[in-house]
Amino acid sequence: MTKLVGSFLVLLGAIFLFSAGLGMLRMPDAFTRIQAGTKASTLGNMLVLIGVAFYHPDWSLKLLIVIYFVLLTNPISSHALGRAAHAIRIPMTRATVTDALRDARETDRSAS
Amino acid sequence: MIRRAFNTLVVALFALLFATIAVTYTEQQTLPKLAAGYVKLVPQELGAPNVITGILLTYRGFDTLGEVAVLFMVAAGLGLVLGDSTRRRDAVPAESEAIVPSTELVRNGAAILFPLISIFAAYIIMNGHLSAGGGFQGGAIIASGVMLLLLANPEYLVDHDFLGGTESLAGVLYVLAGIAGLIFAGGFLDSRMLPLGQFGAFFSAGAIPIISVLLGVKVGCELSVIIDRFRG
Amino acid sequence: MTNLPISNIVLATGFILVLIGLWGILTHRNILRIIIGFSLIDTGIHIVIVSIGYVTNGTAPIIDRALGPSEAPSRAVDPIPSALVVTAIVIGLAVTAVMLAYAIRLYESKKTLSIDAFTESKW
Repeated sequence: MTKLVGSFLVLLGAIFLFSAGLGMLRMPDAFTRIQAGTKASTLGNMLVLIGVAFYHPDWSLKLLIVIYFVLLTNPISSHALGRAAHAIRIPMTRATVTDALRDARETDRSAS
Repeated sequence: MIRRAFNTLVVALFALLFATIAVTYTEQQTLPKLAAGYVKLVPQELGAPNVITGILLTYRGFDTLGEVAVLFMVAAGLGLVLGDSTRRRDAVPAESEAIVPSTELVRNGAAILFPLISIFAAYIIMNGHLSAGGGFQGGAIIASGVMLLLLANPEYLVDHDFLGGTESLAGVLYVLAGIAGLIFAGGFLDSRMLPLGQFGAFFSAGAIPIISVLLGVKVGCELSVIIDRFRG
Repeated sequence: MTNLPISNIVLATGFILVLIGLWGILTHRNILRIIIGFSLIDTGIHIVIVSIGYVTNGTAPIIDRALGPSEAPSRAVDPIPSALVVTAIVIGLAVTAVMLAYAIRLYESKKTLSIDAFTESKW
């Protein structure tokens, strides 16, 4: 019974990882691609590891540490990538409505 | 148009070749004789549970020395191609903002992660003879930790003299360990010059932990220097 | 559980990666994408070499509680291709680093990353 739940969680994680890859191919510009890649692949990663924890209950503590590590590093790296992409002025797709970082930088520069 | 047709033709011919190999390949049922010999000999003569590290550091130790030499040549070559000081002076600075300061998120994340990465790298280097790991893998992890520091603090100047000196010292000690193997034991880089110890203990398998540590330090320093050269 | 032909599946995966990398080198005009193609070929070849060493129903060649030293020669996987691949990965990294350095210098000389701009040595 637990193996069934574990297999279902692994399948769900695989679906999320596949959608991350699909999103990276189909999104229009760099910023949306970074967002699709990070969120979906982090969640897919965590679901696969939780599913494996159902299969081998005595590995739970090690898998929990790995999940913590993944949750700590993926958002930080995508944050650094996004800010770097904005700093070298990669063009945004035309459907963009607001650019909060550019407004924040301009208010900082006009205030200092 | 004709270039596209040519590309497709080349890829199709390679695909045909690879498909022939992949379909008609039969799995091995037993180990070949040399591999069976290694799997039997390494725990017996060297006292190391990890067969692959025993092969890499003792029986094929000369190939590892060649690879260390290749890494050193690449670091020196990159210094030649990218590290020209006149090029740094004439380089046009970026349009408006020269260096974008890193945000608080990245800095705090690096402060949490860098000790974890260092401990993990030390664990992998020291456990090379007991379980999967070894010198090269641990050295690459140290270099990734240094890259994290570079990202978090853009004004962090890597001390090239210290890293270059450490790397050369580690290389010299590695060759001296090889020559010591020649004098005290069977041949070049023979790790039986130190006592074998108890099988599976931390300090066992002769000189393999020491050679792992030297390799890890050398590879870590080299990769850090290579990453730093790409920054300027 | 039927016996899947694991070696053939992993061999085919490695060869597919090599083909993708080869197509990338031939088709793209941007230097950085060509370098990524080379890196894909490297990874594919490493997977092919490791898959050749697989013995049916074998396990990793590390002697611990699960694999005693007396039954190791009959149940372990071939360790020699894995040792070769450890060396090959480091060499692949070195070649990629040199290619990237040359890409940086080429970009500085012509201010473009397209490989069609470098036609001096063509007839």
